[in-house]
Amino acid sequence: MSKRFLFRLMALLIIPALLLSACAGGTVEEEQEFVFGVVLVGPKNDRGWSQAHYEGGQYVEENMPGARMIVFESLNPADKPEATLEGVVDDMVADGAQLVFTTSDEFEEDTLGAAEKYPEVTFISISGDDAWAEGQDAGKAPPNLGNIMGRMPDMKAVAGCAAALATETGKLAYLGPLINFETRRLAASAYLGARYCYDEFRGMDPDDLEYTVTWIGFWFNIPGVTLDPTEVTTNFIDSGADVVLSGIDTTEAIVVSGQRADQGERVFAVPYDFVGACDEKPEICLGVPYFNWGPDYLETASAVEAGSWEQEWEWNKAAWDALDDRTKTPIGWIHGPGLTDEWKADLETFIDGMASGDVVVWKGPLNLQDGTTYLEEGEVATGQQIWYLPQLLEGMEGPSK
Amino acid sequence: MHIQLQNIHKHFGDVKANDGITLEFEPGKIYGVLGENGAGKTTLMKVLSGYHKPDHGTIVIDWTDRSFFSPADALAAGIGMIYQDPLDVPSMRTVENYVLGRSGALAVDLGKAEEELTAFASTVGFEVNPRAYIDTLSLGERQQLELIRLLSLGADLLILDEPTTGISADQKEQLFNSLQKLAGKDGKIIILVSHKLSEVQELCDEVYVLRRGRKVGGVTLPATKQSLVSLMFEELPKRTERASYIREHTIMQLQDLQLSDGRILVGPLNLELHAGEVLGLAGLEGSGQQLLLRACAGLVEAESGKIIIEERDMTRFGYHKRREEGVAYMPSGRLEEGLVEGLSLTDHFVLAEPQHGFVIQRERYQQLTEERIDEYQIVGQSTSRVEELSGGNQQRALLALLRKSARLILLEHPTRGLDVRSAEWIWQVLFQRAAEGAGIIFFSADLDEIIERSDRIAAFSGGQMSRIVTADQTTTDELGHMIGGEL
Amino acid sequence: MTGRAWLRRLWPLAPVLGALVITSGLLLLFGVSPFEGFGALLQGAFGTEAKVLSVAAFWVPLTLAAAGLVVAFTAGLWNIGVEGQIVMGAVASSWLALRFDAPRPILLVAEILVAMAAGALWAGVVAIFKTRGGVHEIFGGLALNNIAIIFTNYLISGPWQPPEGGTFRGTVPFPEKALFPLLGVSRLSPLSIALTLGALAAVYFILRGTYWGLKLDALGRNPKSAFLLGVSSEREMILAMMFCGALAGLGGSVRVLSWFDSLRQSISGGIGFLALLVVMLALFRVVLVPFVAFFFSAVLSGSISLQLRTQLHSSLGGILTSVMVLLVLLFGDYRQLGIFGSRGGKALADE
Repeated sequence: MSKRFLFRLMALLIIPALLLSACAGGTVEEEQEFVFGVVLVGPKNDRGWSQAHYEGGQYVEENMPGARMIVFESLNPADKPEATLEGVVDDMVADGAQLVFTTSDEFEEDTLGAAEKYPEVTFISISGDDAWAEGQDAGKAPPNLGNIMGRMPDMKAVAGCAAALATETGKLAYLGPLINFETRRLAASAYLGARYCYDEFRGMDPDDLEYTVTWIGFWFNIPGVTLDPTEVTTNFIDSGADVVLSGIDTTEAIVVSGQRADQGERVFAVPYDFVGACDEKPEICLGVPYFNWGPDYLETASAVEAGSWEQEWEWNKAAWDALDDRTKTPIGWIHGPGLTDEWKADLETFIDGMASGDVVVWKGPLNLQDGTTYLEEGEVATGQQIWYLPQLLEGMEGPSK
Repeated sequence: MHIQLQNIHKHFGDVKANDGITLEFEPGKIYGVLGENGAGKTTLMKVLSGYHKPDHGTIVIDWTDRSFFSPADALAAGIGMIYQDPLDVPSMRTVENYVLGRSGALAVDLGKAEEELTAFASTVGFEVNPRAYIDTLSLGERQQLELIRLLSLGADLLILDEPTTGISADQKEQLFNSLQKLAGKDGKIIILVSHKLSEVQELCDEVYVLRRGRKVGGVTLPATKQSLVSLMFEELPKRTERASYIREHTIMQLQDLQLSDGRILVGPLNLELHAGEVLGLAGLEGSGQQLLLRACAGLVEAESGKIIIEERDMTRFGYHKRREEGVAYMPSGRLEEGLVEGLSLTDHFVLAEPQHGFVIQRERYQQLTEERIDEYQIVGQSTSRVEELSGGNQQRALLALLRKSARLILLEHPTRGLDVRSAEWIWQVLFQRAAEGAGIIFFSADLDEIIERSDRIAAFSGGQMSRIVTADQTTTDELGHMIGGEL
Repeated sequence: MTGRAWLRRLWPLAPVLGALVITSGLLLLFGVSPFEGFGALLQGAFGTEAKVLSVAAFWVPLTLAAAGLVVAFTAGLWNIGVEGQIVMGAVASSWLALRFDAPRPILLVAEILVAMAAGALWAGVVAIFKTRGGVHEIFGGLALNNIAIIFTNYLISGPWQPPEGGTFRGTVPFPEKALFPLLGVSRLSPLSIALTLGALAAVYFILRGTYWGLKLDALGRNPKSAFLLGVSSEREMILAMMFCGALAGLGGSVRVLSWFDSLRQSISGGIGFLALLVVMLALFRVVLVPFVAFFFSAVLSGSISLQLRTQLHSSLGGILTSVMVLLVLLFGDYRQLGIFGSRGGKALADE
């Protein structure tokens, strides 16, 4: 009776399981606990966007006594069709969360609803603009909802500058994800940084600089759905580009460039998003712009705990003197091993100029891609103008929509 | 090897297929298991071969109690069975089928297996082509292959269920020679399940006779046919004398009909079938008679020519359309083609009868089914699932499923595997249909049946149809020559 | 009833028990008490009214797809393409919601009908590939799943992208009147509950009491015999697939019009594949489908809390359900054990 035997076997298995579980209970209760939630769109170890937020949360736990983070990973309909932001927030609040970070623009609308449902809890919608008094969605946000974003365009300008210093063919390529305000502004900012440095340090005509943007369609490769970033990068290099800037979450740009470098070609890459991204191929890496959420998270958490938090739309500038200090700056730049000393010196000069305000790359005259005027001669772009950049700029090749 | 079956009981629902059977088998002997349809022969053999588990009773091998969970279990103990409908995997090569079911290395050395297979076959006296695809083989060849496979897996007891149905006379002779050798020289036990008395008399040493799930006698051969028949049946069945029902009216006309199934070409055929006429088709399996029958049913498309039924050209009509127009077809496969395992008798009638509306009126069909069960003397209930019925009762069910309104009735092996009395009964039903004006075409592997039941007979050989002879003026000898190609 | 008979009755629960044991083992391996773990799971599924409503809201499309699959399975068809059929239903509803204006009741009915039609059409393509082109429905279905997903992505990033540019999310939210009326702040609509119960009743009735249901059953068991008995295999196969597709499409409609409020990138996210598991665990019987689907929905929703509470990966719920299905397939071979009768439950076989 093999089946009866199995039945007995199961009974035998379940008894110790129950006994063990009875002994295992009992968690340690901490006093003076400050609980905050972090909702991630991807896995917490994605070596990109979500991991940066997770590490930001860890930074708070390390630096704030009594702080405890609750994380929910991979909240997206493809991975978890059954999960909703409301449901996750319900659980977090039930578990005592006083502050919740929702870390994707995908959560923007649902975060509004959650903030209305739990007025006593503070919500930070990362990369959103609902709490921006001058923004397009001004007035939408309840008072317990704030936004935080790092001023990544500045770092992208640095990245563009590094690329302009390194290029010999005068052809740069930008591997873009999908098209929206954020991605347009980042691609454009890198272009402006490149133009500035091509002119200032190389003494070349910036109008001769070729700058191609290809949007693959998503933040990472989805076979059959997006363009294949490996192939796109290969095409870039085949058509003469010698620096590839990445705007996507994954590492294809540096990986492919590295392979071509191994075959003796002179190519460089600038990855994106993750501090350690240069490790893929250090010798051709010019540097990496990255997000560093820890300091902002800590500041927000402390303010919420102290009861001094106020609604704000934060578009935080870098700590220019400490771009590689992860305790200080919300966004940063790390020099890559691929920079020569000469380039490094020029880049430092550029960074110092950006920091002091002497160098302003978002300055007229600038036209949009369709030829209409974006900034008049000498006009400096406002925050709104940069944030809501409607098209790519004149001189950039690639679709705006 | 020495085997005892002790007090075997096996019930299917209310049907007592085996009701306390005790038998003994000794090595080196050939046993016959006789009985009319539904006597419990096949069930008993399936119990012995591990296919069924008995409800009660034990199988004792060499004085040790054994119980089997599967046919593989039984085979490991040396018991192998060749089923009436061979169970091999059709779209495989012979050699692949041969290596199936044996354990050992993961990688199969087909080359070596081929040699082994051919060598094994020749020791038993068979010739096989290891590379042929199974579905291109005749029933007889498949049977040989199965026999070789079982022997190569170490079977000491071989059960053959109606092995001579559907195979040629040559193949039968080969088979019997090998069986005699296997028993006499190798000391194997052979069990032959059959209803053909002459074969049992020819081959067996001992005969067990079953009736209604019980053993009613054991006879050591030789014994007279008469004594066996009186054990099997309570009374002797009579041969039929019947009138001709042929009318003037033409049911079906074939005009220059040509058919092909990729292997043989049939035709061009010209043929007329009258109302009330029974036309028998003789021929070795695969000679074209089945193709013709299926073409008449609308299951095979004509290459050229016309099929005119009831004065309408139905050449382009499909099976379902022709069915509506009064063509009925009864396949030979029963559970493979014909009946749906898992469905009840009532379900079958619901499917087969014309549909009324969208919702099934269960009571109506229940009643209809019970009427048919009575009418066709099916042992079973309207709720019985078809696989619970014995082979003979399945055959009756198939017959009962033919629509009453059918004008043209096409039958494959109408009495295959049935005992004399069941066969007789089925023919009475069919003659009734003929008397009512239906035209009947059938083929059978049994020449006697064709001669006795038909009005006219045509023989097929290699796709060609012979002249048509009248049944009461022909002889087995004449037909034999026609089948052999003297058209 | 004898002890043995009881054991037979309860045997189907053995895989459930087995799966609990295995997942308990996993929990212990990660240092979490199974009591705490399953407690969190239960609380996550039923702890508050909102959670119960959310479980029910997820249950709706899952049950719809599974009910459709029962019909396809009965006809012996493996409709793996159900995922794509959900997606196409969602796309069709979204098209109306975005582009058409009509009074709410008319708009809602039109959205539902067009979703069912789209799902049925998508399934019909698979079926015709099978009957005419000899392409097995598993391969045809997988291909069309992919195409449906690519099509959604094209729409979201192309013609239907929001005015501010393509984003991860999907289209702009549909106007209020194009959406199902919801219960409070939940994602559950009384309308979808009614539709689901209606669908279940229809499937039950079709399989129990209609000619069509019996034909499909015969076809699923033995296509050759069914054909000879008068069942038009090609027609019934196509219809069975289309019926399944229509229910899946309806599920897609529910997904965009009540769970979300717009067409999203992964509108189904594998609900179709989950529904296949549901049907297997439900032993292909429609009466068990709503309960098994509810169980799946509860376990998956509950595992959100499990992840938050224990910080274990939330795929534990998925593991639990998958292990259960696996165990059912391994040990719950009820037909050979003779515990159940035929799929319609008509006769109880005594082995």
